[in-house]
Amino acid sequence: MSVFLVLEESGGHIKRSSWEALAAAHRLAPVQEITAVVVGAQTEALAQEAAAKPVAKVIRVEHPLLASYTADGFSLALHQLLQNQNAAKWVVLPHTYQVRDYAPALACRMGQVLIGDVTGIDDGPVFQRQLMQGKLQGTYRHSGNGPCFVSVQAGAFRAEPIEAPQQTPAPIELFSPNLASAQIRTRPGEPFRESAQTVDLGSAQRIVSVGRGIKEAENLRLVEDLAAALGAELAASRPICDNGWLPLERQVGSSGHTVTPRLYLAVGISGAIQHLVGMKGSQCIVAINKDPDAPIFEVADYGIVGDLFEVVPALTEAVKAAK
Amino acid sequence: MIAFLPTLAEPHQFSLGERLVFLALAALSVYFFWRRFGPILNRIWQSKKDPDFHLRPVGRRVWDFVWEVMLQAKVIRERPLAGIAHALVFWAFCAFALVTLNHCATIFGLGFVDPAGRLGRLYFYFAAVFAVGCAVAIAGLFVRRFLVRPKWLGELSWESGLIALLIFLLMATYLAAFFVANASALRALWWAHTLTLLAFLPLIPHTKHLHLVLSPFTVFLSRGGFSRIPPLSGDEDFGLVAGKDLTRIVSLQAYSCVECGRCTEHCPANNTGKILNPKEIVLGLRGYLNEFGPGSDQLLLGKYESQEAVFACTTCGACEFQCPVGIEHVPMIVGLRRGAVNTGAWDDDHGAKFFLALERGSNALGMSAAERDKFVEKNALPIFDGTQEYCLWLGCMGGYDPRGREIVVALVRVMRHLGVTFGVLRKEKCTGDPVRRLGNDLLFQQLAEANLEALAQFKTRKIISICPHCVRTIQEDWKEFGAPPEVEHHSEFLARFASKLTPVQSQEKIVFHDPCYLGRYRGVYDQPRKIAALAGELVEAPRSRERSFCCGAGGGLAFLGEEKGERVSHVRAAELAATGAGVVAAACPFCNTMFRDALAFQASESRPGAPAPELLDIAQIAARGLPEN
Amino acid sequence: MKIVVAIKQVPERDAPVRIAANAKWIEERDLAWAMNEPDAYALEEALQLKEKLGGEVIVLSAGPERVGSTIREALAKGADRAIHIVCDDLAGGAGGGLRNLDALSVAKLLAAATKPESPDLVLTGLQSEDLGLGQTGVILAELLGLPHATLILHVEKTDAGIKAKRELEEGWFQSIEMPLPAVLTMQSGGTKLRYATLMGIKRAKTKELRVLNAAELSVGAPPVLVLDQIALPRKQKSTQILGGSPKEAAATLVDKLKTEARVL
Repeated sequence: MSVFLVLEESGGHIKRSSWEALAAAHRLAPVQEITAVVVGAQTEALAQEAAAKPVAKVIRVEHPLLASYTADGFSLALHQLLQNQNAAKWVVLPHTYQVRDYAPALACRMGQVLIGDVTGIDDGPVFQRQLMQGKLQGTYRHSGNGPCFVSVQAGAFRAEPIEAPQQTPAPIELFSPNLASAQIRTRPGEPFRESAQTVDLGSAQRIVSVGRGIKEAENLRLVEDLAAALGAELAASRPICDNGWLPLERQVGSSGHTVTPRLYLAVGISGAIQHLVGMKGSQCIVAINKDPDAPIFEVADYGIVGDLFEVVPALTEAVKAAK
Repeated sequence: MIAFLPTLAEPHQFSLGERLVFLALAALSVYFFWRRFGPILNRIWQSKKDPDFHLRPVGRRVWDFVWEVMLQAKVIRERPLAGIAHALVFWAFCAFALVTLNHCATIFGLGFVDPAGRLGRLYFYFAAVFAVGCAVAIAGLFVRRFLVRPKWLGELSWESGLIALLIFLLMATYLAAFFVANASALRALWWAHTLTLLAFLPLIPHTKHLHLVLSPFTVFLSRGGFSRIPPLSGDEDFGLVAGKDLTRIVSLQAYSCVECGRCTEHCPANNTGKILNPKEIVLGLRGYLNEFGPGSDQLLLGKYESQEAVFACTTCGACEFQCPVGIEHVPMIVGLRRGAVNTGAWDDDHGAKFFLALERGSNALGMSAAERDKFVEKNALPIFDGTQEYCLWLGCMGGYDPRGREIVVALVRVMRHLGVTFGVLRKEKCTGDPVRRLGNDLLFQQLAEANLEALAQFKTRKIISICPHCVRTIQEDWKEFGAPPEVEHHSEFLARFASKLTPVQSQEKIVFHDPCYLGRYRGVYDQPRKIAALAGELVEAPRSRERSFCCGAGGGLAFLGEEKGERVSHVRAAELAATGAGVVAAACPFCNTMFRDALAFQASESRPGAPAPELLDIAQIAARGLPEN
Repeated sequence: MKIVVAIKQVPERDAPVRIAANAKWIEERDLAWAMNEPDAYALEEALQLKEKLGGEVIVLSAGPERVGSTIREALAKGADRAIHIVCDDLAGGAGGGLRNLDALSVAKLLAAATKPESPDLVLTGLQSEDLGLGQTGVILAELLGLPHATLILHVEKTDAGIKAKRELEEGWFQSIEMPLPAVLTMQSGGTKLRYATLMGIKRAKTKELRVLNAAELSVGAPPVLVLDQIALPRKQKSTQILGGSPKEAAATLVDKLKTEARVL
């Protein structure tokens, strides 16, 4: 059994990113060498979910002290498992916030270093990951003995090909680690969300922003619909707020907010410098503008040159249809 | 003809008692004058020495003194009517110096000007002419202050009224002596004049009339240079933090303020609803000095100076330019900012983000330097290697702002057309203008030194820039850290070649907006107009040239978030649009970016549907006439 | 509270990336350097804790001579003293230094320097902006035998230890409590950073800077993680203009956002 795949759970189900990690594990070894591991206080259902996937075996690492995640609990339990099953050559994990929290410590206990946030696996095997904030691609290799820990970037491997259930579920084993409550030094609280502020552009994941191209206050309805379909916050460039069409708290730019959402969709914004400085840090920028020379296209990842009054309704429909 | 006119009469014999009374009163008067003035002088003298003060060049100082003090040129130029009235009072005072001395001497029988003598008669009539002018002027000023009441003058003060009355009495009692023959009446007149004089003297240091004594010195001893920010000295100088940082020049200026309110009247921040009032900045320092004195560790920002006010300044310099008594407001305001920023006391979200962006990056806009590289590559701008005539300084706006880039591209077209060689630096950092004006000396030094080093690699001789802020900062402010190359603004360059540029035939009316840093800071007014005029008929905005009204971007304010009150740019844009010009010509990328939104907003407000005036930089106007290729 | 803040010097975010001739690392000549941003947040949090509770902030950084400028910056911002682990000697390749160590070996160096200080709290950034491994802090905790938590935005002192606000995925947070001493790795953006001041820089000149030699800290063990080579990413960022009718363009865009940009 050369690959141990540690699955992660959320709301009673295995997370999608864990299946992407399984796809990565398949690059390292055939199915019959892959052991899936579920960790928790009650793991039966999770184990069954995992057993339906193309894995050779599922191990339930179960202990009452693993009911909620702690770095101490998880690294202790998994360390014991890996020592117990000393055949592990690869330990594959999804690169989640939880894995980032405990996997480096787990690897350290075994004299290892996690190869984190891997985007690709090539022959060797060698592992690709981003350096310098994505400006470079680095090729890493594991050296020496002992298991090699790899965590896989979300979305880097496609989970789809392995989604079909197996004919016969894989066998499930139980592993009970030795844990004492004194060993768990941190006390995590319940997850919470920030009390909803009226508008919080700073932490918004998606933003639809509108500019002068919208022409009339009445037309704002169009972009409001698009924002609603995308689950995005509505924002605006300065002229819109100057006209009082949207409140100042929705203004993006040098005199308003600086935002860094995953998706920034600029509608009818030409891209004055005051606006660009407020949104250039966005991960993915989409621009819709009728002027092909508008400076906003220089910073955009995707652009649609066209009449926003036609493009925006079409986009709203397309987003709704995709859901 | 003078012989037919009456002669000034003087009482003859004074009794010993009269003499003793006079001496006692004079001593009292001088005592009360000195009791107030002595400590003021002391506070000024006890202030820190100005580390960079040099008396030389004396010629400049003498000229300023003659022009501003003796000829009252600044006073008259800005407010002609009130200015001439003031000048008449001032000149009368000068003329009266001898009269007064002689007047006091007569009680001891030591009068040295004979009213009946040829010269004496002539001189007393000379003084009388000024006395008439002064009496009329002071009456007029009284009417202005107490009946017309322009808002710049602030609250009514009874002292002003009293002073006006005393001056009027001085003149009246002098003039009356020409027409009185009765000995006892003459004696009464003499005493009336004397008592007025002795009452006037102690009032001087108690009121804004202190400027009578101080402002000639203030003008003569000014730092020189417009809005020049003095270098810091030593390891414990962080700008104006506390009283111990106030220098003699600053203290002298603080006590010289005459509260005329010209600075307030022209301040773009004050005129658009900000709490900044340059006059109050100066008076605040005076209040501080009176309460805490120089050498105090009490912070300046607090009871007497407001941090919010200090950071509302665009450093346009309109206040300083107008000030008739030689107060240098911008170094004071920047000094207070330095005190707050260099010690970390200034806590402002936008400001901190802006500083951090420049600590980590190269430009004021927080863009990636790769964006500049792309622009340079896309437009095939040659890299400067020392062989070209000009180093073309892109600046943050020219390198990153889409509008600024258009200006650079236009200038490049013109330079290529003229066959002038140029190159851009491979790596260029912000000149440090906004951080300099915001008072961040650490960051400014780092930026200035990095740039000076980059330029020194290739014996750079001449720099050309589209940005007056870059030009000013390179030329003046970098001097603190090295010897910057010669630098000129593109308007100066283009004006030299104006004859080789083709006018665009158009009936368009064009209004040129004087950027503060090109006009008041550099004295360049005609060159950009020469270029703007290539595209049509030049019209002037009501406030232009030296009196130009700021766009609101200077002093780092372009990076500090939304303004309180009305936007400076909107006020100016409305003024420019109201000239009816179809083209607004600018010569600064910051003005350009401020007016872009403001003009569009203004158009949509005032004339819905009508297009906003076209906004062009003079480089774009110059490029319009070039043959297409 | 005695707090050690581990900081790293990284190439300025703006810095042009040129790959060195051996394709193992970038050309470091003419590079501008800056404090790793998450480390700057760790330092800021430490300074705020000190301002509230009193105590001492000690910055710790490993790297060649040039790291001194970043250490001075940290002292200027308010750290009380500094430890510089000079590790030119470990240089393997051209320029050498830390890069030839993996996260475990770096953490061992930091642990060796931290241990004698017996701090109450060790803070460091979540990850570095150059290598982005995001492990050094966690390994450091493991080596020091201390509890840890990652992705921390804010720290409060409690009677029993500390309470920290931790970022979870998809906009969720949790608070996590632990006894002291402990190690926390800080996420960016939890607080406002302070700017460097002239007064700070001048005061920093008189602060203690202790220099340790990496070779003397005897890290041992060859790296288990080896960076073989670097290359420019296969895809360079450029604007894709999506054509077709509004309907077609919209459909293409939704598809690209889902599969290519993965933001839907």
